[in-house]
Amino acid sequence: MRTNLNGILTLLLAFVVHLTFAQEKTVSGTVTDQDGLPLPGVNIVVEGSTSGTQTDFDGNYSIRGSAGQTLLFSYIGQRDVRVTIGASNTINVQMQEDAQALEEVVVTAQGIKKEKQALGYAVSEVGDELLEQRAEGDVGRILTGKASGVNIQAQSGLSGSGTSIIIRGLSTFSGSNQPLFIVDGVPFDSGTNGQTQNGQGNSFVDGNNGSSRFLDLDPNNIESVNVLKGLAAATLYGTAGRNGVILITTKNGAAGTGQAKKNEVTVSSSIFINEIASLPDYQDEFGNGFDQAFGWFFSNWGPSFDRDGVAGWGTQSAIDDAGTLAHPYSTSTSAIQAAFPEFQGARYPWRPYDSVEKFFKQGVVQTNSVNVNGSSDDGSMSYNMNFGHLDDQGFTPGNNLRRYTVGLGGRAVLSNKITASGTLNFANTNFQSPPVAASTGNSVFGTGSSVFANVFYTPRSVDIQGLPFESPVDGSSVYYRQNNSIQHPLWTVKNSKTEQDTKRVFGNMALVYDINDNLNLTYRFGLDVYSENNITSQNKGGIGGSVATQSGILQTWNNTNTLFDHNLILTGQYEISEKVGFSFNAGATTRSEKFDQNGVASSGQQVFGVLRHFNFSLFEPIQFLQERNIAGVYGQLDFDYDRMVYLTLAGRNDWVSNLAQDNRAIFYPSASISLIPTKFIPGLQSPNGVNYMKLRAGYGTSANFPTGYPVASTLILDTQNFQDGDGNNTVTNVSANLLGNPNLKPELLQELEFGIEARLFDSRLTLDASYYSRITEDLIIDRPLDPSTGYTTTQTNVGEIKSWGTEVDATLDIFRSSEPGGLNWSLNSNWFFNESEVTDLGLDTDIVVYAGFTNLGNAARVGDPLGIMVGTRIQRDDNDNFVVNAAGDYIEEEGLFEIGDPNPDWVLNVGNSFSYKNFNFNFLFNYTHGGDIYSRTASVLIGRGLTTDVVDRLNTFILPGVKGDGTPNDVQINNSTFYFNNVLFGPDELGVFDASTVRLQEVSLGYSVPAKFLDKTPFGSLSFTVSGFNMWYEAINIPKGTNFDPNVAGIGIGNGRGFDYLNGPSSRRYGFSVKASF
Amino acid sequence: MKNIFKYLSIGLLGGVLFTGCETSNLDLTENPNALTPAQADPDFYLNEVQVRFARVVESLGETGAEVTRIEWMGSRNYQNAYSPSGFDVSWEDAYQEVIKNARDLTPIAQEAGLTHHVAIAQLIEAYTMTLLVDYFGDVPYSEAIGGADNLNPAPDSGTDIYTAALALTDQAIANFNSNALADPAIDFYYDGDWDAWVKAANTLKLRLHLNLGNTSAFNSIISGGNYIASTDDDWQFQWGSNQVQPDTRHPNYAQNYTVTGGGDYASIWMMNLMDTSDDPRIRYYYYRQNEGTPGSNDIDGDPVAPNEETLDCSLQSPPAQYTAGGFPFCTLDNGYWGRNHGNDSGIPPDGLLRTAVGVYPQGGQFDDNSFGETSLGTGGGGAGITPVILASTVDFWRAELAMNGSPAAGKPFILAGIDKSIMKVQTFASLDATADLSFEPSATDVSDFIASIDAAFDAADDEGKWNIMAEQFFVALKGNGHDAYNFYRRTGYPTNLEPNLEPNPGAFIRSFFYPANAANTNSSLAQKSGVTDQVFWDTNPSSPTFPVAN
Repeated sequence: MRTNLNGILTLLLAFVVHLTFAQEKTVSGTVTDQDGLPLPGVNIVVEGSTSGTQTDFDGNYSIRGSAGQTLLFSYIGQRDVRVTIGASNTINVQMQEDAQALEEVVVTAQGIKKEKQALGYAVSEVGDELLEQRAEGDVGRILTGKASGVNIQAQSGLSGSGTSIIIRGLSTFSGSNQPLFIVDGVPFDSGTNGQTQNGQGNSFVDGNNGSSRFLDLDPNNIESVNVLKGLAAATLYGTAGRNGVILITTKNGAAGTGQAKKNEVTVSSSIFINEIASLPDYQDEFGNGFDQAFGWFFSNWGPSFDRDGVAGWGTQSAIDDAGTLAHPYSTSTSAIQAAFPEFQGARYPWRPYDSVEKFFKQGVVQTNSVNVNGSSDDGSMSYNMNFGHLDDQGFTPGNNLRRYTVGLGGRAVLSNKITASGTLNFANTNFQSPPVAASTGNSVFGTGSSVFANVFYTPRSVDIQGLPFESPVDGSSVYYRQNNSIQHPLWTVKNSKTEQDTKRVFGNMALVYDINDNLNLTYRFGLDVYSENNITSQNKGGIGGSVATQSGILQTWNNTNTLFDHNLILTGQYEISEKVGFSFNAGATTRSEKFDQNGVASSGQQVFGVLRHFNFSLFEPIQFLQERNIAGVYGQLDFDYDRMVYLTLAGRNDWVSNLAQDNRAIFYPSASISLIPTKFIPGLQSPNGVNYMKLRAGYGTSANFPTGYPVASTLILDTQNFQDGDGNNTVTNVSANLLGNPNLKPELLQELEFGIEARLFDSRLTLDASYYSRITEDLIIDRPLDPSTGYTTTQTNVGEIKSWGTEVDATLDIFRSSEPGGLNWSLNSNWFFNESEVTDLGLDTDIVVYAGFTNLGNAARVGDPLGIMVGTRIQRDDNDNFVVNAAGDYIEEEGLFEIGDPNPDWVLNVGNSFSYKNFNFNFLFNYTHGGDIYSRTASVLIGRGLTTDVVDRLNTFILPGVKGDGTPNDVQINNSTFYFNNVLFGPDELGVFDASTVRLQEVSLGYSVPAKFLDKTPFGSLSFTVSGFNMWYEAINIPKGTNFDPNVAGIGIGNGRGFDYLNGPSSRRYGFSVKASF
Repeated sequence: MKNIFKYLSIGLLGGVLFTGCETSNLDLTENPNALTPAQADPDFYLNEVQVRFARVVESLGETGAEVTRIEWMGSRNYQNAYSPSGFDVSWEDAYQEVIKNARDLTPIAQEAGLTHHVAIAQLIEAYTMTLLVDYFGDVPYSEAIGGADNLNPAPDSGTDIYTAALALTDQAIANFNSNALADPAIDFYYDGDWDAWVKAANTLKLRLHLNLGNTSAFNSIISGGNYIASTDDDWQFQWGSNQVQPDTRHPNYAQNYTVTGGGDYASIWMMNLMDTSDDPRIRYYYYRQNEGTPGSNDIDGDPVAPNEETLDCSLQSPPAQYTAGGFPFCTLDNGYWGRNHGNDSGIPPDGLLRTAVGVYPQGGQFDDNSFGETSLGTGGGGAGITPVILASTVDFWRAELAMNGSPAAGKPFILAGIDKSIMKVQTFASLDATADLSFEPSATDVSDFIASIDAAFDAADDEGKWNIMAEQFFVALKGNGHDAYNFYRRTGYPTNLEPNLEPNPGAFIRSFFYPANAANTNSSLAQKSGVTDQVFWDTNPSSPTFPVAN
């Protein structure tokens, strides 16, 4: 929101020209910020004199001055404003934020505030104006593109689905790579418990719906987000901070800066449309069948919807002269024929039904938030409270997300040198969705159901909505395929669901005692407890999945996650000499994490439709407990020389509870330096050349500790392993798959980082560039073992990964009006890449497949980037020719061949903001270059003949390659054979696509009502915004008609990347919002 | 003011320590979600060893049956027909479940004087290891189950493993013959009949000696008479009919009796052989869901039109090697609906049309000409068996040895084997409570069939005799193709097996790729370059010269 034209001010300026006589008088007025809110404490001086004053609590001031003299308005973080005194006795000023203020203060690790120029490492800041009133309720997704080096990926477009955040690429493959969330100074669990039961991990095969727990934060309640990317920045957080830190200050946590502030109520309200963004572009020329012949298949390679021509339906015996077929329910299973007497003898028109398009709906997303803040007259007590509500209907039937949050924060400076502050927040997040499980394009292949498994490749001639989905006899699923082997998508929507209802309390309490002017002691307690109630259920009568699922299931369980954090910090600040400053922080902390899961999994539903445990015949316990404690001591020393050279030394020692005694403790140091050449090389700085330059370098270390209980070898008891001849359950105990390793140590991470920051050309161009290189040693490998060892996996320390990358942030003010309300246009972009190489995996192995399936997944292979995708490929002969079989299809060669690299080559985000008068217009483009994806969605859409990509299908192909005897292939195959046998169900490498995508991530147009129109209203400010999210994208190298959006995490929120198993389409959102303050 | 600071800091530190008590426990290494190995129970171990062993036998036996056309194989290319990862489960079951737990059981059982526990564990280990050798060749054994001491166990030669297995079997026999302080709570195989266990152990030795070519050792056991000679002593695993928690059904039944019908296809070669020879076991082995198959005649002899939707190959012409050899292509008369060897086409909606597995050995439906739809739980509910070693198998082994001398000498053993097989199979009809058992073959049907084999055998030349013997052996092995796969590699018969639909399917599989979870993780175990490596006892010419039928 850029500055607005202040009409009164313009008028005043115009008068100034005509008034020449000078006479001292009292000038008064109000100073407001860019949102029109009063600014207390603004310094006002008459230039060239000693007289000065400050605005009061309501932003009012008065000062003596003469016409022709200039008043200078200055305030921290705002651009200076100079106004010449004219005839009027009233001068109202609206100030603008100055994003590049020299004295900008940044919140760093452990809440330590430092001048930005003192930092020897990169920090990205995102302010509330980039977070508020967004169509997405997920703060992770809103951050997309707004901070360099941060890669954000949605699990799918389902409202409430998980989100992955990776800062500076992967540095480990056994532990988590997700960053630490610190909210108002204390840790905040941001994990994703995707239907995990009994510690089994996120099974993307059977279904892993689940939100990432930062979804419990209301973006409208966030004041700012700082991203600490490197290890030097995050040292004080110890092991928890190794993947970078997302530091969030909420409005409650920001309550009170010690300055008096008027009570203010801010209300914002938005309404958005949420719709499917990745609907395929279906062709409507051909229908269900194979080889241009009709059949009730999965595939759409059937005859044409035209009667004539070689592929016309006129040649089909199943289709009569009127272009109709026997109704599928009249020729299907005997049960279906009996259940639907009305369809016996009925005809079914052969035509395209566009039923996938009708399956999805437009959801409505509503958000409302109210924020109230204020302080006592002297500013010593302040408070902030807010309420937020989100109702997000998915575009998928049965999917919605509801969240409400209430929070309160306050701060009091007591007379006894103690400052007390605290926040307390409550959130209730309810995520509901039909289940989503992996599908390769052939229903589900795991034990569950999936709403998307059978929708996208619905043959064009099949009418999802027109075919009843429930048997009137027993409620079971019925559908068109003649052995009823596809679960009707509408049956899934109605009868199958997952739910995650989370109630969460988090907050902190801090006491600061000012020992003297130089020293203070802080104690901070952080609490984060959530209770996540999960339900997975399906009525009996389903088709896919396990027999238990078909019998009806109800699984209910609660995850209680508790995070306690104590922190005691002593902070001191001294001036050693006039030019040398020194400060230090010394702290001790304990942190405890406990995940406690309890529940029941039932199967064997008795009465259809009743989803209570009493209505089921079989029960299994769900119980899992995981605890870990971390204790740490840390310290940091900061020196500065004449505010030109800054040196920071820091270190932390951690003790972690789940390793053997000898391996529990580790120390990690860091050092960073910042130089301001423009200060000590006088000639360097010039107003229209280099305005400011900073060079920085940092070295940081950290460690990655394992989770769980990797040291212990266990014995697994199963009370329901088998039954004896009398039908009694037999009990087994078996040696666990995991070989405990008492010698396990934490992974060691080291990072070197260099950066340059500069402002050029009258601060029109701002640059911030970083280069980093990182090494992870003693890699904890979840090493798969040959079962002939007696175990299948162990955790061990071997190997090394190197990674390096560059981040460049640039802001260019193309137009910068000197007048408030003039045209401003600035370009805000960032570009970054991350490369990695697995340099060692120990002596024993050169490849570890760590995500996906053992024969198709992400792997660490020596000499390759971390995470390459491996799978089967087309068989090659000795001359590297592709080999085809006698049927003319490629032969699939089994093995772990590299089939792609999911890591993007680089990412470019370009943000634009225009403002003129009371309007502003912003957009954000995102371009991801490179990175591969194994997409079953794209493969199945072309492999089953559905999209416009495969409408030209009457010709034959000869695949390039040689036959088994080495002679060139000359076997003709038709289009369906190529796509079906080779792309869809052939070598894995043919299912891999380049995922380069250009995307209009965000666009918005806003208007703020000028202050003069609001004078007689209760509003302090009022603004309207029309905005959109993911309005357009193009995956350049993926078959156009599939319209596939590679922004999907098919194997869940973890370290796997580049796989899609029909996990869900992406979402597009657009709508309107209004924000008002009183 | 100083005092306030003092009190405050004491209070704060106290607060941290007090409330931090829970947060500062730095020894949380024991996993609360499982037992510790010290809490193990020998019976619980033995239950696992017995049940998991059956799953290994079933799973690998199915693979052996597929390559020998007892069951359908769905790949046009031998090299890639069975991916390494396809064997991961069997390999893990064999080593990490069966052998690891057997080894963990042994010391605690020995200490407690539970020698019968030990005996079962030893015999099962010997069987499992030699099974792995027969499928994969050289595999880890002496260095196996070393845990952290050896994460890369090197393979031992098949010969050494056979030698060790024979020794282990002898130890097992000694333990079976000993007096145990207590017997296992559950004996899934012989219900505590230790004499039967000894016979089973000796019969395993018969198999090993046959592979080793040690005729005298084989004959000495035969003359000792203490082996599985009667179907009463058949070594087999009895499955149940419970569907979930736990699923005790025959795995092949579970795959085929689903709410959407069949999940697998029957082998055209096997069905055709049995249908055209009036084999009395056919109604037990196969359940037809349909009276007629597109492109053939139905049970009344009326032609059924080809159907592109349900059986697209019914509109195609057979490949040259089928025409030349006179092999039935795609479709059979009388409603038998299966697939040819190597047919890898997509799956049409024929789950309720194709021929399903029958009441023997999977515990499915008996074919009483009802031509209904199979479904979850129908027929015997999956309460079938997995043969481990049957008495009829021993007859065919003896036939093979006899025929090595003179082909005609095998006849009495062949006929005995057929007879035992039929008698056994016929006892299964009662599993299907709803079947109309009037369709069971009569004693005359049986004797006519045996007579016809007898006559055909006499009429055949030497190769023909071998082929008849091999065909009848394979039919009798329905349910576990392990011995068929061994026999096929030992002798190359039958030479008239149905070929792959692919004219150039590559050389026949002489041993399988190592499982992915072994080859990809064990640096001492290099993956094979192909599937033509011969196991140590397979001294026949290398592929593709051998076997003749490909």
